[in-house]
Amino acid sequence: MQTIDSYLDRIQNLPPAPQLLPPLLRLLREPDTDMARGIRLITHDPSLTTNVLRLANSAVFGCGRRVETLDEAVGRLGFETLYRMVVAVCGSRLLGPSQRGYGFDPGQLWQHSVTAAVAAQLLARECGEDESLAFTAGLLHDVGKLVLSQALEGRYAQVAEQVEKFGRSMLAAETALLGVQHAEVGGRLLDRWNFPPSLVQAVWHHHQPDAAGDFVRLAACTYAGNMIANLIGHSYGIHALALEGHASAVGSLGFDADRFQRCMIRTQEQFAEVESMVQVGH
Amino acid sequence: MPSPSLSIAGFQQKVVVGIADMAVSNNANAMLTTYSLGSCVGIAIYDPVARVGGLLHAMLPDSTIDLEKAGRKPAMFVDTGIPALFRAAYELRAEKHRVHIYVVGGAQIMDNSGFFNIGKRNYDAVTAIFQRHGLRSVAEEVGGLVNRTMYLNLATGQLNLKVSGQAEEVVLCKR
Repeated sequence: MQTIDSYLDRIQNLPPAPQLLPPLLRLLREPDTDMARGIRLITHDPSLTTNVLRLANSAVFGCGRRVETLDEAVGRLGFETLYRMVVAVCGSRLLGPSQRGYGFDPGQLWQHSVTAAVAAQLLARECGEDESLAFTAGLLHDVGKLVLSQALEGRYAQVAEQVEKFGRSMLAAETALLGVQHAEVGGRLLDRWNFPPSLVQAVWHHHQPDAAGDFVRLAACTYAGNMIANLIGHSYGIHALALEGHASAVGSLGFDADRFQRCMIRTQEQFAEVESMVQVGH
Repeated sequence: MPSPSLSIAGFQQKVVVGIADMAVSNNANAMLTTYSLGSCVGIAIYDPVARVGGLLHAMLPDSTIDLEKAGRKPAMFVDTGIPALFRAAYELRAEKHRVHIYVVGGAQIMDNSGFFNIGKRNYDAVTAIFQRHGLRSVAEEVGGLVNRTMYLNLATGQLNLKVSGQAEEVVLCKR
């Protein structure tokens, strides 16, 4: 932990914090969600508001009459859906750019993240976990890669060697080359940004969900959502599939192989929603 | 003085085949393309005489897990997608004995338990169907830890591949 903290302290340009998300998440968790307060928070950011309204009026989310204000959007779609749109818009700003250290072209990490978010949400719904948390964790699970990408730039051959010669996963390759790995860095970053412990732990342990303490099930949804995005092919860069399988994590949520495959089908059915979110920042 | 020769290059149209989808065409200007096959499997077929090509991007091996889905979207599954691909190509006058077949994808993650080895199960399903119908691929690029994009040029029947994380496309040669 100390290593990662000092690692983060040394980084010159940390990605900008999505400051709005932690307070919105807190609002959602309150028994009587104060929607007016949530809407006020969002309207402080005019470009966010514009993009959220654009998404609310897109073919996938739009339902008949155009919505002109956030109040109308909440009335029509509900606060949970509006929240997910805000996460999507904030996420596209953060995760949209290319990450050359990983071989991601512009938009690729973003598409992967949206697919993982939609899959994690589906899994959460199936096993009775919090859908908004799972969606957020799925969307932000690779945020640590924004930090490590710079350090890996120009080291393609070394990363490839770790996987091809030593049979390591990408996560283990990061640890071998940098002494840190993106899941821990991501969790630590979310902690600094005041995200709730559930989300911090789910992201931190999205490759080892068993280690997530009180939040094992949320971490398992995040893990399985990431797996689905990777298997479906929404995964890019060097040795995109050099990931470790932890069947027990998915099994502990009550999924056998067939049920897991059906979740892949349901995720594919949500691609129109994925696409509209992928496009939101463009 | 000889008249200058004039070559009219056709405007190439990229036809994108999504996940759980397929396309067939006899338009020589078309480039059938499918992006980013992870554990999914891509089957390309080409009849050089009829100049008909087809491309399938199947996600899962076995339609019995969701028969209703298979009815609406046969290309979702290997066992329903391959027959649908061939039937569509036959309608454009492709013939089974002339068709060149390419198989791409079916990548794996690092999983000893086998739970996530959908790529291998997809490939096994392809092999089983080929055996049952007396089909044989001319070239394959399967397995591994990478995802792959494939392009079938309908003017030439050439199949190109692009592997994630690598800059260049490569030609998948006949074996």
